[in-house]
Amino acid sequence: MNLKELLHKHFGYNEFRPGQKEVVEQVLAGKDVMALLPTGMGKSLCYQLPGYIFNQPVLIISPLLSLMQDQVDQLKKMKEKRVVALNSFLDVSQKRMALQTLQNYRFIFISPEMLVQENVREKLNSIKLSLIVIDEAHCISQWGFDFRPDYLRIGEVVGKENRPPILALSATATEKVLGDIERYLNMKEPYTYIHSVDRPNIHLGRRIFQNREDKLDWMLEHVSKTEGPGIIYTQSRSKTEKISERLLQLGIRCASYHGGMETLDRQFIQQQFIEGSLDWIVATNAFGMGVHKQDVRQVIHESLPSNVANYMQEIGRAGRDGKDALALLLYSDADEDFAKFVGMDDLPTEGHVDRYMELHFQQLQPGMMVQNGEISETAFRVLAYWMHQLPAHEVKEKLSSMKTGKIKAVEEVMELVHAKSCMREKLVHYFGQTLNAKPSDCCQCCGLSIENIILPRQTTEKNVQEESFNWKDRIKNLLLQT
Amino acid sequence: MIFQQILLEIFHKFNGERTISAPYHLLKGKRSGQTIQDVGIYHLHKYFGVLPKLARQTYDKAISALVEEEILIVLQDGFYKLTNKATSHLQENKTLPFDGWHYRGNEHLFFARLSLVVQSLSHQSAKQMSFIPIQKDEQVQQWVRHFLKTNHYQDGHLQQKLLEEIVMSLENLNVEEEAKEMVMLRLSGYKTAGLTWQQISYKMKLSEMDIGLIYISTLHKWLNEILQKKDEYFLLNQLTEAVRVNIPLSGSASQTAELFKNGYSVEEISRIRRLKMSTIEDHIVELAMNEPEFNMEQFVAKADIQRVIEAVDETHTRKLKVLHQMLPYLTYFQIRLVLARGERFES
Ligand SMILES: Nc1ncnc2c1ncn2[C@@H]1O[C@H](COP(=O)(O)OP(=O)(O)OP(=O)(O)O)[C@@H](O)[C@H]1O
Ligand SMILES: [Mg+2]
Ligand SMILES: [Zn+2]
Repeated sequence: MNLKELLHKHFGYNEFRPGQKEVVEQVLAGKDVMALLPTGMGKSLCYQLPGYIFNQPVLIISPLLSLMQDQVDQLKKMKEKRVVALNSFLDVSQKRMALQTLQNYRFIFISPEMLVQENVREKLNSIKLSLIVIDEAHCISQWGFDFRPDYLRIGEVVGKENRPPILALSATATEKVLGDIERYLNMKEPYTYIHSVDRPNIHLGRRIFQNREDKLDWMLEHVSKTEGPGIIYTQSRSKTEKISERLLQLGIRCASYHGGMETLDRQFIQQQFIEGSLDWIVATNAFGMGVHKQDVRQVIHESLPSNVANYMQEIGRAGRDGKDALALLLYSDADEDFAKFVGMDDLPTEGHVDRYMELHFQQLQPGMMVQNGEISETAFRVLAYWMHQLPAHEVKEKLSSMKTGKIKAVEEVMELVHAKSCMREKLVHYFGQTLNAKPSDCCQCCGLSIENIILPRQTTEKNVQEESFNWKDRIKNLLLQT
Repeated sequence: MIFQQILLEIFHKFNGERTISAPYHLLKGKRSGQTIQDVGIYHLHKYFGVLPKLARQTYDKAISALVEEEILIVLQDGFYKLTNKATSHLQENKTLPFDGWHYRGNEHLFFARLSLVVQSLSHQSAKQMSFIPIQKDEQVQQWVRHFLKTNHYQDGHLQQKLLEEIVMSLENLNVEEEAKEMVMLRLSGYKTAGLTWQQISYKMKLSEMDIGLIYISTLHKWLNEILQKKDEYFLLNQLTEAVRVNIPLSGSASQTAELFKNGYSVEEISRIRRLKMSTIEDHIVELAMNEPEFNMEQFVAKADIQRVIEAVDETHTRKLKVLHQMLPYLTYFQIRLVLARGERFES
C-alpha cells in the first residue's frame, strides 16, 4: 500500500493536507524532522500515521495535560486501544502497570515532568521506540510561551547516539525558537518543513479605546449585533466571569472558561460549544488547545496577549473550516502594563532567589515558598530549575534577562496595536517569513469592513440555562433518548 | 447564605471554645486528632469533610462577611464570640442535612460512576457507542465497564431499570425539587451536555457555593436512601460500593482498637505499640465516638459520667480545663471520654 492508501485505511481521509505527506515520508526514512504547520492543519497526523506503519511505540512528549488528554481521547474514539498517557494524574499503581507494559502500546504520551523521572527514563531506555515526537515544540525555547524547565532537559533524556528520529511539531515558532529547538534536542541536520504561518481566511481587525469602560461597552455591543460562534480571550479568571455575566444579561448564550474550573465543568463548556448550545466562550488562555470546533467565526482579544506567538495560537482557533473569520484585537490605554504585570507573575524575583538560599541554608524545603503563598507554582518551577543549574548570582542575571524578554514580548504585541501598515505582514514577519498575497479585507490597516466578514446576529435562540426541564424529564431524555 | 448559615451553626456548637480556624479544618475533614475529637465532643459529625477542597481564601472571605455584618466578633487570641444577631439568625433559618462523617467526599465517587454509566447508556440508546468519556479517572472507567458488563447492558434493558430506580429513590427524598434538578443537571449524555456550576447558579439565582452545598447535601440524603433500602435499588446500590465509611477510624487508631477489643489494657497497648499513653488514649476516645457498642463504664463510673454531664449543663462549656477544675478527681482522659459520648446521653 502506498501512503495515500494507508491514510485512507487508517483515518478515512482521501487527501493529505499540505506538509503532511512530506513530513511523514521523512519520518519513515528515519530523518529528524522539524515541521511548522499552521494551527489546525493536522499536525497530529504526522505522527499518528507513522504509528500505524512502525512496529514499535511512538513516544509523544506533550506540554499540557489537557492537550494530552484530548489527543488520547481522540485516538481512543478512533478505537485505538494501544494508547497510554503517563502524567501526574496516574497514581502509583496505575503508573507501575503502565510502565510494565509500555512496550505494548502504539502511542505513549508523556509529560516532560514524567520524562525526567529516573524510573521512567530507565524504562524508556530499555524499550525500543520508533519515533520521539515533541508536540508544541516552541515550549522548549525559553522565549516560548509557557516556560517549562523540564522541557529543556528533554535533550539530556533522549540522548545523542542510537536514538530514534525526533519529530518536532509547532504552529508558532520563530526562527530563534527553531534554532533553540534544534540545539536543545541535539537534532541532526533535521529536515525542516515550514508552511506559511498565515491564515488568509482570518481577517485581522483592531479597535483602540481611551479607557476600559469604552472598550467593554463596544465589545458588548459588537457581540450582541454580530454572529458567533466566538471566543473572547481575557486575562483573569474573574474577568471571564464578569464579562460572561454581562453577556448573559444581554441574552447571549455564553459561558466563562478558565483554569480554575473543575474538569467536569470544562468538559461541559466544550461540549456545549461544539454542540452549538453556546455561542460565546469568555476564556483565559487555558481555552483553546484540543477544542475541535471547525466553525468558530470570531476571536476577540479583550486583553493583550502576552506575546505574538500566543496571539497567533489563539486567533488560530477561528475559521478552521476555511471560511471567513474575524480576529479582533481590542486595546485601551495602558493595557500593556497589565499584560506585563501578568507576565511577571510567572517569573521569580531576586527576592525569591534570596529566600530560596535562606531556606536552603536553614536546611528547610524551599518548596514551602509555594505552600506559604510567597510564589506561584510556575515561578517556583522556574526558580528551582535554575537554582540547580547555576549559582545564585547567575540565576539573578538569568531572571533579569527573562524579565526583559517578557517585557519585549509584550512590546512586540504592541507593534500590532500601533501598526500603520499591514498587520498581517507584521505577524508573518515576526515568524521570519514573508507574505505572498493579501486577502481582501485583509486587516484594519489595509481596510476591513466587518460586515463583509461576519453576518449580523440572527435569532435569539433559547438559552440552555433558561430552558426549564423537570428533573424527571431530564434523566428520562438522557437515558432513553426519546 | 447557606454557607454562612453553616458556619454560624458550627461556631455556635463550638461555643467559643475553639479558634476561628476550627470550622475550616472541620469542613475540610482534617484527619488530625484534635479535629476528629472535636467532632465527637461538639457533635459536628454532619459537617466533617463536607468541603474537602475549600480554599482558605474563600473561608476567610466568608468570615470577614460575618464580621462585617456584626454576626461574629473575632477576639485577639484568635477565638471568637457570636453576637445577638447571630442567635436570631440561628433561630430563623434551618440548615441543610449533611452526613459528612460517613461519606467524607466519597459521594463524588458515587456521582462519577453514575455520570459515566448514564453517559454510556445514553449513547447506547442513540446507537453511538463511540464517545469521549466524561470521567477521566481510569479506575472509575474500569469500574463502570465492569458494572455495565455484569448487568448485561447489551440486552438494552438497563436504561429503563436505572431510570425507574433513579426516579423512585429521588421521589422518596424529602428535599426541594430544585435540589434534585441540580443533581440531574450535572449529568450528561448523547448531545446533551451537563451544566456548569456557574450556569446552574445563574439559572437558580443562588451563589455557586450554596449550589455546591445543596448538591452535596442532596447526594448524602440520596445515598442514605439507597443504602437503607438496598433491595429496592438493585443498580444504584451497586454504585455505592465502598462509598460509605463504616469504621471511620484513622489507621493507627484502628490498630489500637483491634488490640483493645482483644482485651489488652491501655498500658499494655502503649507498651506493645511503643506509643505514648496519651496517644493510645486519643485512640480510645476516637473509638468511643465511633463504636455504638463501646462500654464506657470500664473507664468512668456511672456516677462520674453523670457529674460530668451536670457540670457541662451548669457551666455551658465543654472546655476540658474548666471541667477538670470542677471535677479534679477525674482525669482529662475520663472527661474527654464522657464528652465524646455525650450525644448518647442527650438523646
Ligand atoms: N488529511 C486530512 N484530511 C482531513 N482532515 C484532516 C486531515 N488531517 C487532519 N485532519 C483533521 O484536522 C483537524 C485538526 O487536526 P490537528 O488537531 O492535528 O491539528 P493541529 O495542527 O495539531 O492543530 P493545533 O495547532 O490546534 O494543535 C482534526 O480534526 C483532524 O482530524
Ligand atoms: Mg496539535
Ligand atoms: Zn493587511
